[in-house]
Amino acid sequence: MKARILAVFLAFCATPAAAQAPLVADISSREIAITTGFAGAELLLFGAVEGRGDIAVVVRGPRRSATVRQKSRVGGVWVNTHSREYLNLPAYYRAAASRPIERIAPRAVLDRYEIGEDHVQFALAPGQSSDDFDTYREAFLRNMAYLGLYAGGEGQVSVVDRRLFRTTVSFPANVPTGLYGVEMYLFRDGRLITRRTTPLVVRKVGLESQIYDYAHEQAATYGLIAIVVALVAGWTAGAVFRRA
Amino acid sequence: MQVYLPIAEMSANVFALLALGGAVGFLSGLFGVGGGFLMTPLLIFFGVPSAVAVATGANQVVASSVSGALAHWRHGNVDFKMGLMLLLGGAIGSTVGVSIFTMLRRLGQVDLLIQASYVVFLGAIGAMMVIESARAWLRSRNPSAPRRKLHIHTWVHGLPLKMRFRRSKLYISAIAPVSIGIFAGVMSAIMGVGGGFVMVPAMIYILGMPTSVVIGTSLFQIIFVMANVTFLQAYSNQTVDIVLATILLVGAVIGAQFGTVVGTRLKAEQLRAALGLIVLLVGLRVAWELVATPPDVFSIAPLGLQ
Repeated sequence: MKARILAVFLAFCATPAAAQAPLVADISSREIAITTGFAGAELLLFGAVEGRGDIAVVVRGPRRSATVRQKSRVGGVWVNTHSREYLNLPAYYRAAASRPIERIAPRAVLDRYEIGEDHVQFALAPGQSSDDFDTYREAFLRNMAYLGLYAGGEGQVSVVDRRLFRTTVSFPANVPTGLYGVEMYLFRDGRLITRRTTPLVVRKVGLESQIYDYAHEQAATYGLIAIVVALVAGWTAGAVFRRA
Repeated sequence: MQVYLPIAEMSANVFALLALGGAVGFLSGLFGVGGGFLMTPLLIFFGVPSAVAVATGANQVVASSVSGALAHWRHGNVDFKMGLMLLLGGAIGSTVGVSIFTMLRRLGQVDLLIQASYVVFLGAIGAMMVIESARAWLRSRNPSAPRRKLHIHTWVHGLPLKMRFRRSKLYISAIAPVSIGIFAGVMSAIMGVGGGFVMVPAMIYILGMPTSVVIGTSLFQIIFVMANVTFLQAYSNQTVDIVLATILLVGAVIGAQFGTVVGTRLKAEQLRAALGLIVLLVGLRVAWELVATPPDVFSIAPLGLQ
């Protein structure tokens, strides 16, 4: 796998077209397939730039609504008491840059393109209180980092010869399914020169996807099958017991 | 070897899951209980989302109670009439329980509900069992102490709608087993347990059933109640993970075989005391989680689709 990625990378770098456009980029795979043995994945993001500049890479999962809950002690017991609901937060997020992100571009630009975890925009759902906004925002980032869905910081884009760049992005086993966007940005003196977006699909394949879809689309039949499996297993076990 | 669990949406080690199923199966074979009360908290501890743990636990209990009930049925230790009365209550109770569960899941309080149920029921029943078996042990060491009466008349015998239960040698009101069934059914849905550890003492102490028929009858009833819970959880919450349940099943079946062998070598009081102690310890463990300051007071709910 590693060797193949490297081969693709080298072949890509050797292409003369790479020298023409200001930014050309690709990823080692356009799809992450969640199979029975899936335990996470790692992708190589690579490309070449023309002229000097800073590179930032963002991998963004599908947008989801999210609820952050806060526990407090009620009568000696920890209970969920407060919550905030947000709309449109990426279910997965990774950012990497060739220099510390804050030095690449002004804050407004980073906010606009949501480059860097601190620049992900949090939109409260209608009717949600904006009290303790930062506390809840940080709690979301911290918990997502704990789940491996956010990184809790930025990765490093390594640049070779001021022209070729590469970075690796890891996806944990609990990676959400859906359509991802891999965005690569070229900045020069704080100005955005160009950007490239490549789609990335994360999906369950084979049995896993069939089971999941079946459980949601044919919930009643799925429930009955689960019961039949258990009954047959129990019956078989009973028969084996008797003989033993 | 890692395996991806499609509903729990996590990857787990197959051998760890088999060992978990095996350990719980060993205990269920040893004590003649479904083992759901151990399985569900252990799955949660393992990182399985609590809603999935409860629903999948229910599915797994169906299998273990089928094999248990079969063995008891062969020995003629199932009172089907009593079982049907308990079942009637169980069907009502588990349906109510799943709707309470679904409602609280929406409110974000389902973890609290599961944990609080565990603390209250496991704590109370574990303590009762330990005390009772300690008393039995003391009595056996002191034979001059007065023996318990064989048949005690309580308020249960004053209820209307009396029915004859031949195998249990009882003539009591149908209201009593139906109510016990309802209560156990609600708990089954909320806790993902068969409710055997509640029904067994209730059948012995409240209904006055002979101990020999109690376990077989409760297992018979549990099959149907847990099948109902599995169906309703799968239908309304989509939280039954068939892959996880199957792996646990395989472990549990093997474990139960060893448990049964060891169980025949131990005395009844010792078994009851040991089971009581385990029940109590699980209850205390869950209580500790409720009371201890969590590492992070903030948590995120599973992300919703837009």
